Amino acid sequence: MGADRRAFLRGTLALPVLAALPRGAEAAAAPHRRRRWGMAIDLDRCAACNACSVACRQENNIPSYGADPEFHGARPEWMSMLWQEPERPDGLPELLPLPCMHCADPPCVKVCPVGATYKDPDGITMQVWDRCIGCRYCMVACPYSRRSFNWSEPAWTASEQQMLNPDVATRPHGVVEKCTFCHHRVRALSERARLEGREPGDDELQRLPACAAACPAGAITFGDLDDAASKVSAQAASPRAFRLLEHLGTEPSVYYLKKERG
Amino acid sequence: MLQRIYATPHVRPRPGVLPTPRAGWYVLVALGLGALALGLWAYTIQLDRGDIVTGMRDPGRGGAAWGLYISLYVYLVGISFAGITVASIARLLKLHVLEPVARIAELLTIASLVAGATAVLADLGRSDRGLASLPALARPSSPFYGTFTLVVAGYLFSSVVAFFVTGRRDAARMVRDGPRALRWFYRLWASGYRFTPEEHARHGRTTFWLAITILPLLVTAHSTLGFIFGIQAGRPGWYSALMAPSFIVLAGASGIGMLILTVVILRRMLGLRIPDASIHWLGSFLWVLCLVYLYFTVVEELTATYAGPALDRHVAHTIVAGPFSRSFAVAIGCLFLGFAIPFVQYLRAKPSVAGLAIAAGLVNIGALVKRLLIVVPSQTHGSYLALEDGRYAPSWIEWAVLAGTIGLVLLIVLVFARIFPLVHGEEPALERDAPLPRDPVRKLVCLGWAATAIALIAVGLTDSFRLWSGTELDPRLPMAPVIFASGVMMLFATAIVYEVLPARRRRPRSPRIVDRARTHAAPRTVLAAALRATERRPIPPPPPPSSPRSQP
Ligand code: SF4
Ligand code: SF4
Repeated sequence: MGADRRAFLRGTLALPVLAALPRGAEAAAAPHRRRRWGMAIDLDRCAACNACSVACRQENNIPSYGADPEFHGARPEWMSMLWQEPERPDGLPELLPLPCMHCADPPCVKVCPVGATYKDPDGITMQVWDRCIGCRYCMVACPYSRRSFNWSEPAWTASEQQMLNPDVATRPHGVVEKCTFCHHRVRALSERARLEGREPGDDELQRLPACAAACPAGAITFGDLDDAASKVSAQAASPRAFRLLEHLGTEPSVYYLKKERG
Repeated sequence: MLQRIYATPHVRPRPGVLPTPRAGWYVLVALGLGALALGLWAYTIQLDRGDIVTGMRDPGRGGAAWGLYISLYVYLVGISFAGITVASIARLLKLHVLEPVARIAELLTIASLVAGATAVLADLGRSDRGLASLPALARPSSPFYGTFTLVVAGYLFSSVVAFFVTGRRDAARMVRDGPRALRWFYRLWASGYRFTPEEHARHGRTTFWLAITILPLLVTAHSTLGFIFGIQAGRPGWYSALMAPSFIVLAGASGIGMLILTVVILRRMLGLRIPDASIHWLGSFLWVLCLVYLYFTVVEELTATYAGPALDRHVAHTIVAGPFSRSFAVAIGCLFLGFAIPFVQYLRAKPSVAGLAIAAGLVNIGALVKRLLIVVPSQTHGSYLALEDGRYAPSWIEWAVLAGTIGLVLLIVLVFARIFPLVHGEEPALERDAPLPRDPVRKLVCLGWAATAIALIAVGLTDSFRLWSGTELDPRLPMAPVIFASGVMMLFATAIVYEVLPARRRRPRSPRIVDRARTHAAPRTVLAAALRATERRPIPPPPPPSSPRSQP
């Protein structure tokens, strides 16, 4: 539908000059199978051990700024534990590991004035640190508060510096960062599979992101929601499944599983 | 009666004479410079140590991501809104009583827009990158697009155009009467203005059409500000259709207030000849707008607290009775006094300028605090998840930057007041359809110019929407947002083209046209011709200082 409309508009509106401009290398790239990456988090299994958020911090070079009280509310968090007060009227479970929901209709992407955050064709809400101007509009717009601003230049101790993950760029002061579903791991796996002439299998994907890999209870499952055979799509279709704040129409790609809610 | 006040001799300034400042002017300039220096110093600290020195933090983790800077920006754009509106309305409705403050209003518009842009820059985490990538990549789907392109390009530029066009006549006078060192400046501004009936008639048309095109632009540009907040479904307390209209009304109230303050201060500092009646008129505007805004607030709070969804009620509660209640009381108290003082004076038919100035100051404090109360509580307390409630108090750095921006406004206004007459000189009434000789060349050039502008707007806007980009992230044309913005600017510049284009007709039809000497000299460039014209044309002696009707 979106493509049809675009084609129509291009056909009718575009100036001939524009249509004649070269379209770059994009057309030449080999088509690859479109995915809709998603995650299922089984709350009945989650033991609230926080392994996922620690692993995430390690994997993605997220600075922690020590215990300095000045940094209260200024420590970036991609994956964190959300404790809900039981008396909340909305019937959400008491404990939620909370990554970015990678909304299919993300408010953060709509408001970004420069396109520093965008929907990757495979459904990941990506963030280009280099392009972000730090207006923080996306933070204000995200209903799940899943975005963090770098309030100061991250400082690493010598030992922390040695533990930085070379696969993920560190972010400078003044830009917003967020969970990428460990995009670098997804990419690496896809590349490897492509060289071997195959598609990544569901068993390789299920525990691909650092949080899923670290979870001792196996509560986090990653995979392709469009692949009917994948574990994540089976879990998403389970009667136990629900998504956060459905009424906002953001269409999250993260499903939670819980037997009796409330 | 107003007519009479306006026509009394002391009301109209002697043309071309700049006021001599009193001591207060120097004090204010020193204050402005001090504030600006303080703001710059604070900003360098922020650049050096990072935004951690502000009071802002991540929303949902104990803070608010937007605070004083964004509130200040919204507030300053609000002020500019009122300035240009007053000037336009004075022209459109021929409200002669407002004419003496029209130029000050326009000046205030320009100064506060410039200051507003600095407030945004102070807010950006990467202001350098913002300056570099917004012109190239800005996306219309973000309400910031309207803020950056419409407000800055359309709004600031159209105010500058209006300011320029309406000032040409006085600039031409200043070429003769003004200080010698600034003659080049006046000559540039006058850009060939000649005191002919033809020029005057043309001038009447442009000012009318400018005024009428600026008004809808204003409402659009200002509504995009309200949309920044009003269309965020994920923030209880913001998502509201009333957001954009109430933004405009509060903008009007604070802007009129600031205009009153500026006029009163300038009148004292420089002895400008502005009649009390003009200020009283603004005072009436002030209480009406404050009243409408108070009404909006009551409706809003009532809706939210009576049967609003749980979280809207929660946010409204934190404002009215929770952690923000003191600020709320200050804001509403100030706005109420801003309504009550002028209203009581109005009822008793005894308006006093001092009372109005106090009310105007209060309204501005109230408006700034109210802007903060719009921006902050929905971030700290408006989350659908049980995230940590936040706190926000601006740090001294933010206050210092606020002082710096206000200092900037002050300096722009004060310095300008020294180099250009702030009250229009004597001029015959402008008519929008005074007879003009046929001038097809001018018409054609202007139409072509405007058509080019509209084409640029269309191309720039569609490409900014990435309609041609396929799956790519960026627009296909380099600097698509700039193309859009320059289209908007060109469209308004049509007024300048129409006015400044030198007359090239060989055979003047109307006997009233005196400019025969220049008909054979084909000018090389518009500007050079305009400059030469100002230099060479003798300026007729000024009209008698007052009309016989007003003599006692
Ligand atoms: S959860 Fe927030 S950051 Fe993630 S995609 Fe949705 S709106 Fe964007
Ligand atoms: S902070 Fe960065 S990613 Fe977020 S809206 Fe602004 S420019 Fe976009």
